[in-house]
Amino acid sequence: MIIFDLMGMLLSAYIVGFIYYGLYRNITARFQRRIGPTVLQSFYDSIKFFSKKESISHGWMFYLGPVIMMTGAIMTLFFIPFFYNSESFSGLSAYGNLFVVLYLMMLGPLGNAMGVGVSGSPFAVMGVTRGLTRMFAMELPFYIAVIALMSLNHSADIATIAANQTTINAFAYPLLFIGVLFSFVAMMGQSPFDVVGAPVEVYSGPAAEFSGKFLALLMSQSAIFSFAKLVLMVNLFLGGAEGFFELLGKTFVLFLFVIAFGSMYGRFKTPQSVDFLVKVPTAIAVVGLILATTGGQ
Amino acid sequence: MKIIPALIFPLLTVLAVFMIVTSQGVWQMDLVVFGLDNITVGLKATALANFFAVLIAFSLFAVSLVSGKQTPSKGFYFLLYLLTWSLLLIVYSADYLLFFVGWEVMSITTYLLLSYTLSPKALVKYIVFAIASAMSLLAAIMILYSTSHSFLYADAHQAYLALSDTLSVLFVVLMLFAFFVKIGVIGFHYWLVDAYAESDDFFTPYLSAVVSKMAVYALIILLVTVVDISLLPKSWIAYTLALLGLLSSLIAAFKAVNEDSMKRLLAYSSIAQLGYIVTVLSFADGVSGALYHSLMHTLVKLLLFINVAGIIYVTSKSKFSELGGLIYRMPQSFVMLLIGIIVLAGMPPLGGFASKYLIYNTLLENGNLLILSAMMFASAAAFLYIYKLIYGIYLGHPTSQKLESVKEVPVGYLIPQYIIATILVVMGTLPGLVTPYLNTILIELKLKTLPLASSAVLNTETGGYNGLIVMAAFVLIFIVILFVLLSLSSKVREAKDRFDIAYCGEVPNEGTHLHYGFSMGKELGRVGFIGVILQNSSRYFYDFISKQLFAFAGIFRKIYSGNLSMNFNIMALFVLALLWWSLK
Repeated sequence: MIIFDLMGMLLSAYIVGFIYYGLYRNITARFQRRIGPTVLQSFYDSIKFFSKKESISHGWMFYLGPVIMMTGAIMTLFFIPFFYNSESFSGLSAYGNLFVVLYLMMLGPLGNAMGVGVSGSPFAVMGVTRGLTRMFAMELPFYIAVIALMSLNHSADIATIAANQTTINAFAYPLLFIGVLFSFVAMMGQSPFDVVGAPVEVYSGPAAEFSGKFLALLMSQSAIFSFAKLVLMVNLFLGGAEGFFELLGKTFVLFLFVIAFGSMYGRFKTPQSVDFLVKVPTAIAVVGLILATTGGQ
Repeated sequence: MKIIPALIFPLLTVLAVFMIVTSQGVWQMDLVVFGLDNITVGLKATALANFFAVLIAFSLFAVSLVSGKQTPSKGFYFLLYLLTWSLLLIVYSADYLLFFVGWEVMSITTYLLLSYTLSPKALVKYIVFAIASAMSLLAAIMILYSTSHSFLYADAHQAYLALSDTLSVLFVVLMLFAFFVKIGVIGFHYWLVDAYAESDDFFTPYLSAVVSKMAVYALIILLVTVVDISLLPKSWIAYTLALLGLLSSLIAAFKAVNEDSMKRLLAYSSIAQLGYIVTVLSFADGVSGALYHSLMHTLVKLLLFINVAGIIYVTSKSKFSELGGLIYRMPQSFVMLLIGIIVLAGMPPLGGFASKYLIYNTLLENGNLLILSAMMFASAAAFLYIYKLIYGIYLGHPTSQKLESVKEVPVGYLIPQYIIATILVVMGTLPGLVTPYLNTILIELKLKTLPLASSAVLNTETGGYNGLIVMAAFVLIFIVILFVLLSLSSKVREAKDRFDIAYCGEVPNEGTHLHYGFSMGKELGRVGFIGVILQNSSRYFYDFISKQLFAFAGIFRKIYSGNLSMNFNIMALFVLALLWWSLK
């Protein structure tokens, strides 16, 4: 039954996502010579937020914003197959390909923008504008690499791209992969591209107005969405996975890289990050695309 | 009821188009009777023409449904119907002669319709470009006629092949110029933004939805029937189309963010959306994507411009800096605009995704990878202006006291929006619904057809997607999450008033600037390449051209100074020269 399959995907993404979120806080703390919270702390936090007695709302659209955001994250997850060679945990990926996933990934930011906009906090909207500005810049190297892969595999199907890798794409097309990694760091909201939620410059960024169960929903969304993005990257560039352990191993390596990268660099301003992303990673990815597509012939 | 007589003509048009579509008729006539030997003109109900005729009839119907207490100026509807018939003449003509007649009538009636509200400066801009477009079209038609002595599309390909190299290049350049001006490809769009922004609110939806599509239709005829682009995959024509379309999408997306006026933003959005069509037409396979996107763009621009017209009607304000916070006072309009922007952004589960999907697949299959990347980048950049559109009007805070007491727009504005929104939702759920009709057109144009599947699936060579599953999944997940959120035991307290927000520990009041709408996107100018785009304008180029023309005219002005005896002498010399030349 597909419904059990989907529930399994959602549940595993939820659990793994929160464990990764906890690990992220813990490992970042170790980089900064702190001890940091326990791994399950984020999970406890979200449960606490879910059970808060009271939360403030700004009307019905304020409800729909986080709900659309969560829907976007879960849809993205369902259209990405976990394993390239098995029917189980492939979700709805037979009904939509990579183009669908690329656009579903933007559904969340749109829902968030609606909810934040209706709250009326100008600082939160400033965060959204920064987020949307950063978004188009970070998508550019990612799109270039993804399009190169689609063209090389003559398919926009994620499982096919994952299965076609004899040497994994990260090593076969290193320049494309390097270009994408910059995008990926930005997509995970890590330094140096983390100006959107920047708590120092902007008063808490897009999440400023959300409290109680709304905030809990946003946290769960972020955990699920992060895992979905990691699985997508593993499928596209790290050869996909055949079982849960391989999937966890590969996603964790990628995740560790993102944390380590983020811990090393300071924060870009919005124009700086756009400028950087459309220059350096894009140039690397374009060279990678040209080499990959002409070298294959 | 005032609305009934206003609807008679649109309904008749819909009926006429329906009859033509079902009849598939051909009508031809030799102009020998009028003393014009060897010239045949004709009308032909091809599948392609029918497609555009349906768009015209639907748009006229939707625009005519819009009714509030304000009625347009006298003669408005007469001119609108005249314009409609000229558009139908354009699409149903089987030759370039009737096409040109339709084109001219279209330009002139548009001019008259614009002249109600446009400032003289904007009006002059429009008419200069319209005349330039028409003259360039006429010259191109004459070049084609010079070899074949026939205006018919059927003979056009042979005539084109018979042209010398220079003439064929000139022919294509002149034709492209004529159509690019009407589409408003970046660089040729100088008239468009002002004309859209200042035109009558009843007329702007029509202008954006169908008048610009006539150039798309003409471009398809030119590229597929006359030039046959499938034979020239890597020619300069293909590259010109691809690059100019891409530049339109990119530059217009950034220009749109910087606009304070709603209609100007939407005008730039039209340029950007038509950029996709121009780019994808650089391939013969791209016709399917171009037609699908034309359909979507027609529907969504009708919806958005009617919505904005409603806002202007209710608030009599047209700038983001004067609006804001209308969502809970006009919830129905808000939902309509939300549907519109989701389609404009090209997101699943609504119809806008289907057309973008076809366009991207065409570019991917033809190996145009860098153009495709840049196209998707432009599409992501469009999110900013799309968000500005909805935030500036409906979200955030009201910028004046008056906005706190506005009511929902009249039903006359809402009905057409509901109809269009329903179509858009259905198209998103069943994206394959129009595939058979597109295939009829593609077969007629002798192009590769789309693989046929059920109406829920939109198929291409590299795979398809199932709109029904996407929509069902979206709706189900949405309901489940909403249910979970509502069933949690925690209470929800409504904010006291709109000032009850997190504001750095301070308490905002009436005097605090809380609406972020009008300055949204201004900071984009600080990014290097976007700053370059925003600071430059085609105005500088056209200013330069006009200065040169004035300087050139200055030379003649010295001779033809207005002095009567001088004029007489020049006239006499001219007559003598004519006499000498004729007697020679």
